Amino acid sequence: MSPRTRRPERGGRTARTVILRIAGVLVILLLISFLTFTLLYLAPGDLVKNLLGNRPSSPDAIAAIRAQYRLDDPFLVRYGDWLLSALRGDFGVSIRLQQPVTEVIGARLPLTVLLIALAFLFAVVTAVPLGIWSAARNGSAIDRAVSAASLFGLSAPSFALAILAISVFSILIPVFPAYGAGDGGLDTLWHVLLPALVLALGIGAILMRMTRAAVLRELESDAITFARARGIPERRVRGIALRAALIPIVTSAGLILTFIIGGTIIVETVFALPGIGQLLEEAVLFKDLPVVQAITLLVAAAIAGITILVDLSYLALDPRVRARERAA
Amino acid sequence: MQATPQRTPLRRIGAAALLTAALALVGCAGGSAAPPAEDVELVDTGAEIEEVTVAFPGSLANLYIGQESGILNYNLAATVQEGLVAQDAEGKVVPALAESWETPDETTYVFALREDAAFQNGDPVTPQDVVFSLERAADAEASPGISYYLANLASAEVTGEHEVTVTSTTPDATFLTSLSNTGALVVTQQAFWEEHDGAVGTSSSLLMGTGPYRVTEFQPDSHVTLERVDTWWGELPPAKSIRVNFIPDASTRLAAAQKGDVDIAFNVPINQAEDWGAIAGMRVESMNDLSYVGLLFDQRVPPFDDVDVRTAIAQSIDRAAIAEKLLRGYGEAATAIMTPESLAAAYDGDEARRVLAEEVPQHDFDLESARALLAGTEAEGLSTEITYPNTGPQIGIAAQAIAENLNEIGMDVSVREVPIEEWLATIGDGEHGIGFMWYFSTTGDPAEVSSYLVGPDNPNGFESEEAAALITEANALSDPAERAAKLLELERLNAEQVVNAPIWWGKSVTAFSNTVGVHDYSPFTFTGAWGAQLFAAEAE
Repeated sequence: MSPRTRRPERGGRTARTVILRIAGVLVILLLISFLTFTLLYLAPGDLVKNLLGNRPSSPDAIAAIRAQYRLDDPFLVRYGDWLLSALRGDFGVSIRLQQPVTEVIGARLPLTVLLIALAFLFAVVTAVPLGIWSAARNGSAIDRAVSAASLFGLSAPSFALAILAISVFSILIPVFPAYGAGDGGLDTLWHVLLPALVLALGIGAILMRMTRAAVLRELESDAITFARARGIPERRVRGIALRAALIPIVTSAGLILTFIIGGTIIVETVFALPGIGQLLEEAVLFKDLPVVQAITLLVAAAIAGITILVDLSYLALDPRVRARERAA
Repeated sequence: MQATPQRTPLRRIGAAALLTAALALVGCAGGSAAPPAEDVELVDTGAEIEEVTVAFPGSLANLYIGQESGILNYNLAATVQEGLVAQDAEGKVVPALAESWETPDETTYVFALREDAAFQNGDPVTPQDVVFSLERAADAEASPGISYYLANLASAEVTGEHEVTVTSTTPDATFLTSLSNTGALVVTQQAFWEEHDGAVGTSSSLLMGTGPYRVTEFQPDSHVTLERVDTWWGELPPAKSIRVNFIPDASTRLAAAQKGDVDIAFNVPINQAEDWGAIAGMRVESMNDLSYVGLLFDQRVPPFDDVDVRTAIAQSIDRAAIAEKLLRGYGEAATAIMTPESLAAAYDGDEARRVLAEEVPQHDFDLESARALLAGTEAEGLSTEITYPNTGPQIGIAAQAIAENLNEIGMDVSVREVPIEEWLATIGDGEHGIGFMWYFSTTGDPAEVSSYLVGPDNPNGFESEEAAALITEANALSDPAERAAKLLELERLNAEQVVNAPIWWGKSVTAFSNTVGVHDYSPFTFTGAWGAQLFAAEAE
């Protein structure tokens, strides 16, 4: 690169982009909150019945409960109330648990974050190298074995995998605990390993296939053919190809991180882990609106954050993007 | 007082799989009856137990039975909190916090509290605490799940240093039971309630009671830990602590037991009973659990307002086959709404069964007659849906068998499994004309279920002054035999009008490790101070 005469403010455009993106995210969160509110409102089930249970009830009691949770207010008024409170940072009290939502989520978040982080880590450290290896040995026995393994990971439903994992690794070969979150610290880590592995298998399979496809595409590209024709050593050629393939790999890894969130519900239920996934499922069924809203927004914000980080990573990975930034 | 079946996460069983199971079971010529519990002779070693691990099939969200009133909530609270009275192994009302009581007239109850009654923090129980707890229990906002059962409460007053006087608005034979922990009263400390602003039973506030165990830790979706206390008026229990783990997935629960992690497992699914029984060092015990399963008809939804239609459907239920073949004996064909056990004060078991079968008109299984009755009614060719809760797979199997029979007599009924919350919302919603009623009686009172299903505010849209009068009259009678006779009249009315079609009385399957025994095991064990009934055992 030749030195330029007019150097723009470094990163000025980047900062502007990020601010715009964050503003966009806030608008999306607002829309999601309204959508969630509406869907939960329309979903089958009745909060009053959930609170009363299957039992006789007097009309007075029903009226008292409806008044207590303001179920007779118009739909938009209820949404407005929730929104105004949320903007003040007050996400309300869980109807099912009778505790402040922030407290409830705060108590469960660490476990779910640990589960997701471990699963993601397992998936990345195994799937990316395997994908690269498999692409490099395209068509070999190794490639076929890895592809078969990923097909298994893709097609096995996670609840079946979870039950299989418990049968094999905690009963047949009694290495891991069968269920629960342990008593904190290393014990919890030990308890979360097996569920994280189960969760990692499904997403690792997707990541592996995407990595393989991306590396294969790069190895077959004109740039690589030209590089080889110029007599550049094969090791360097591979390096160039990998670097180019990193962009789709990082993008798919970011997408996959957002997929994990659905998988946690099943894995947490089977392994009896008190995390956000189980909480969300129960809250939706119970129509515990404050909890559903808070978790949905938290997840949406996390996904938006991951997406922004993935986009920013292009700056580091792709010289063309950097050049465009500078040329602004 | 009722308790809804516990919410547990979805167990997705395809309708096809259920149908296959149902057909396979019906096809078994012999059918497999409930295997008798292995004959294990247990000896009380007299030793202390460090910790008893209990597995629950679903999580509790709140430990206060007024806030969440599932059967498992009742079970857990039963060994932590007490009412003024309790029920013994036969269901008889016995002293708890009150050591005695007098009834100067038929609506007044004067309770003498135990002078040594103390909360788990060591504070003495004052009559004011009792009155306060009773008022909270009767308040629909503070205790949505149980307030209905104190609708007949007129007043509660402190009338002495250790005396509380409670009055009911009308003479009521069920009133005393409603003042027990199986009903609506779990006595807590007023100061504790106010300190937590009424948000009791959460993971941060826990519970305050007078029972043999106090809650030391509670994490929804994970566990509850109970520690024994020396403040209880009874004997110090052998088990130092009880840890209840919430394991929603049935396979995981079984795996935990196979690893040796479970001492007691509540509500073992009947299709897994054999697997549990096969675990070395464990035994499986089934016990009548005072639950009722039947069909209910919403008479506000045509054509279910036609008694011929309801009768035809009742005649299409093969109760004997369902109980013996589909439930493998873990259930008893019901001849009425009230269970034989609930009539214990008037009749012994066999006598109660005979009386119910003879005194209450039966709609015996007869597809020919059902088809003839249905012919020409609005229900002929009707397409409708019946839902059942995901927490009751056995109900799903029965539903398939019933739907099959109804299709034969000319109705098109589809069966759908739904989350228990969705199922609750369908009960008496004015849209579902036919549905399942699944009800766990906690008090074992003969009127508990029938007054809900036939009396005022019933979910069937059945309006009957006669039924309301019968319940009032029955509850005004103190003699068990006279009261049973009145309630039999109510059952007759239910059967003649086919307001509900009883199907079976349930049994709960509980798995125990042979290192733990239970004294006086009965349908009432787990709604009493069960922690104190556990003992260290050795199998002979």
